[in-house]
This record gives sequence, structure tokens and C-alpha cells, in this order.
Amino acid sequence: MGFILNNVIPEILADRPSVGISGIWGSAIEWAKGDFIKITAPSGTGKTTLVHLLYGLRTDYSGEILYEGKNIRSLNPDELANIRQLHWSIIFQDLRLFPSLTARENIELKRVLQNPIVTPEELEKMAEELGIRSILDQPIMHCSYGEQQRVSIIRALMQPFQFLIMDEPFSHLDKANKKIAAALIASECKKRNAGLIITDLDQDEHFDYQVSLNL
Amino acid sequence: MVTSRIGLGIAVFLLLTAIQIQSNYHFLLNSNNNKDSIADFLVINKTLDNNSLGNTKLDQALINEIAKQPFTESVGILTPSRFKASIQSISNQFPFYTDISFESVPSSFIDVKNVSFAWDPSAEFVPVIVPNMFLDIYNFQFSLSQNLPQLTPAIVKMIVFKLTVYGKNGPISFNAKIVGLSDRISSMLVPAEFIKWGNNYAETQSDNEVSRIVLKTNDPSNASIASFLKKNNLSTNTEKLRYSKYRKVIDTVVAIAGFTGGLMLLFALIIFTLFIQLTIANCKQEIILLITLGAAPRQLAKFLLGQFYPGNLLSIASATILIVALQYGLKLFLEKQLIFIPSLISLFTLMTAVALSVLLWFVTRKSIQKHINN
Repeated sequence: MGFILNNVIPEILADRPSVGISGIWGSAIEWAKGDFIKITAPSGTGKTTLVHLLYGLRTDYSGEILYEGKNIRSLNPDELANIRQLHWSIIFQDLRLFPSLTARENIELKRVLQNPIVTPEELEKMAEELGIRSILDQPIMHCSYGEQQRVSIIRALMQPFQFLIMDEPFSHLDKANKKIAAALIASECKKRNAGLIITDLDQDEHFDYQVSLNL
Repeated sequence: MVTSRIGLGIAVFLLLTAIQIQSNYHFLLNSNNNKDSIADFLVINKTLDNNSLGNTKLDQALINEIAKQPFTESVGILTPSRFKASIQSISNQFPFYTDISFESVPSSFIDVKNVSFAWDPSAEFVPVIVPNMFLDIYNFQFSLSQNLPQLTPAIVKMIVFKLTVYGKNGPISFNAKIVGLSDRISSMLVPAEFIKWGNNYAETQSDNEVSRIVLKTNDPSNASIASFLKKNNLSTNTEKLRYSKYRKVIDTVVAIAGFTGGLMLLFALIIFTLFIQLTIANCKQEIILLITLGAAPRQLAKFLLGQFYPGNLLSIASATILIVALQYGLKLFLEKQLIFIPSLISLFTLMTAVALSVLLWFVTRKSIQKHINN
């Protein structure tokens, strides 16, 4: 059991002609736990809207989204918080880091939000792999966008999850760093037997996708 | 924030001080160490002025009302003799003669202990209790002016004198003896049985009017006694009520301290509520982001409570510790003046501090919850 989307159409996109040819909007879709799902879409077709819908940030849509048989629109704040701590992790397109904190504090905050499953040493190792260890103690606002993107990737890997939802997670990374980050994400998903949902502008081969859809 | 916490500390200090002062005062009143046996008994009669002249009767309704007052423990009626009587010495060496009258009072109001204060017509002598003041007047004024010997209480109690009651069937004489000296009631006291017998013998047309009563109270400094007496045009030995004036001042000061403390507490609570609201409003973006990342509202509320509450608790604890220290200091200070108060603060004061902590926790928690949910 994973996500089930039944005839979901966001209100803000309802009148757009692109909805008629979408592979997701208005369709019946089921994504199982462990699936690697790629959603490709040109700008303006609602990638970020889809991510926000799946993560329970927006409720302005028709149809229904079920997670493990439960309509996510009916979850109360504590149930939603519980799912976000244990079932879903996210990398936002706009990163959403705490500007006043350092890179390490941003990651640490997520690490201790629930019972930590990653040790501080493992955190250091991930930062080392992604090449941001040296900036860990810098205020995040002084880091480049690419560095911030890697911080937000590591932050997303600090918790248990069944689905890792990503919105253009590599948009500011060079090819080599994209590869390293994707490998880290894939191995962390494998550790948890988890799936991922990634939205991007173009086709890519970062992961072995079981499902590939156009929005 | 620091200023408002100091304000809270002062508010709590004032409130607890008010409560502790009251507690100490009640301890002083009820403690055996400090008990003043004179002050507990008040002899009450109508204030004698041009209006009440010849009409000093205390009616039963008024006596019942006095008995019902919260400051009253018990009321005893002073029964006056309504017969003509005289006493005279039976010794030529120490001659005296005087007309006299007596009163009787229920035995529970008599402070002369260890003597049998009863009489019947076959008794050997009539026991009499005399106010200490009379002996003082004799020893320090009369004896000096008349060139008579001074008398100790022990000697006075050995003197037997003749008591004569005059009735329709002529005078009847008895032997009489002073069995005790009292500070409590300024009247010549004989047993109630003797008054009854004498009144019968004299066949007075008495309707058993009551003009004086004795009131036993647990708190002679209670300001409401003075105001009650004034309202009903009654008077007593004002000296015995002198503490009520001090008490009034203390009560006023305590009330002002308590009121100021209460007001400051209210302000402190309002300031904290506003401060919490402001802090949460300032961190609104961060709080939204935390919730987005999966923080539960309950987790956040717990965290914020942990940020705000310990400081407030510290204010209350500091104020309480200060009160504890002051109480101990006051105990040491008053001990030197033979006034004994407890070295620890009262349980009630402590419970108030605990109650204030709970109240503050509740207000802080509610305020956080309210603003987080918004």
C-alpha cells in the first residue's frame, strides 16, 4: 500500500488545457511502496503543486489522495506530523531551510525531530560524500544555492520514510554532484525499502525508475 | 522579559507576605506561649450617657446577637446583688466597715483556680473574689494615707470578716473570706447561689435585668468587636481592645500588600501572554516550516513551554525562598522579645506558591496552544 490518486485535479489548474492531456491529473493512479517514480513535466504544468498535494500542504483540489487507505485531507495535525516524521520525507524546490541557522543545525534539527536513526558520524559522512563538510558550521544564508540544495538533500535523509518526495532536487548541481547525490539517495532508499517520487523538467537516468509519467 | 519576571517575583512576594503575616498573626493568637489571659475576657455594658441613664438593661435579643457573633466564644451574664449589704472587720486591731454590693458570674468565667467557689446557707463562710486592682489601691494609696499596714495577697486571704445582708426579716450576718484575687472581672464576686439567696431574702422586685455581661473571645484584637460594640452603643475596657487598633492598621497594610500583589500578578500574566504571542508571531515563519518538516503542534508547544516556563518558575521560587528567609529572620528577631512564631512559613503560604506555579503553567500553556493553533 502506498499512494492512491483518484481523479485529482488542482483547483488552480482545472481550467488549463494541459490537464486534459496529463498522465496524472484526473486519472486513477496507484504508487506502491518501494517504487521509484519519475514525473516529467514542462514548467507550469503543476509539478510543485503535485508535490505539495502529496505532502499534504495543500487541500485545494478535487478528487482524493489516499495514503495507506486514508484520505490525507482528513488527517489531523498530529497524524500528519506523525506521517511526515516516519513515512514521508521531502526535498522542496525552494529548499525551505532555516536562514538563521548553520548548515549543520538545519540538518540536526530534522535528525532529532523524531527518534534519531542517523548518527552524527553518519551525517558527517554524508556531508563528506556530497562535498559540503567544510561548510557545515557556516550560516546557511552564506552558502551557495548548490550547497544549500545538498544540505536539504542530507536533511531529507535524516528520518525514516516510505516515500522520498523530491521537487527538482538537483536543479543547481553539476553533473558529477548530481550523480553522487542520486547514488546517496538511492542507497538510503534501499536501506529503508522505500520508494521515491521525483519531479523534473526533463527525462534523466539518475535512478532505476519503475514508473515514469508525464504531468 | 527579565523585567516582567522581576515584576512577577515582586507580585508573588507581596501576595505570599500578606498570607504569611496573616498566618503568623493567627499563630500568635492561638498559641499557648503567647496567650494573654486578660485580653480574652471582656466585660460589656451599655455606654452610660444622658440617653441611657437609668436604662442600662441589656435585652435578651442583644445578648443573643452578641452570642452569635463570630468573635464570641461564650457569653456569661453578670448577676448583680439587689440586696443591701455591708462588710465589717471582726478584729479591733484592723477595724473597717463599708456598705457593699456583689456580682456573680458562671464559674467557667472565673480565673481563680484551685478553690471551691460555691456556697449554701450552711457553709462556713462566703467566698469572695476581689479585683487585684482593689488590693493595689489599698496597698499603694489607702494604707499609706490612713497609716494602716500593707497587706500581701496571702494575708488578705487569711482575714475573716463579717458580711451582713439586710432583708425584711432583719439583717443576717455571715463570715466571709477572700479566696482569690482576679484581673479578669473588676467586680466583687460571690457564688451565684449566694446572690440568689440574698435576692430572695431581700424580696426585691427584681425582674432579673441584665446590665453587664462577660464575653469570652478568642481574638480580642478583632476589629469587628470594637465596631460591633460601637454600633450597639456598648462599652468595655478599651485597654483590652487596644490591639484592635493595631490590628486594623496591620489588616489594612496586609490588604494593600495583597491587593498590590494581586494586581501585579495580573499585569505580569498579561505581559507574559503578550510576550508569548509576540514571540510566536515573530517566529511564525519558522514555526510553519517546522510543522511543514513534520514537527507536531504538541511537540512545538512542549518546546515553547520549556523555553518560557522555567524562568517564571524561578521567579516564584525566588520569592518563596525570600519569604522563608524573612520568616526565619523574623522568628529570631521576635524570639528576643519573647514573642514566638514558627521558623518555617505556613503550609497555606507554601500551597499558595504551588497554586501560583500551577496557575502560571496553565496560563503559559494555554497561551502557547492558542497562538500555535492560530
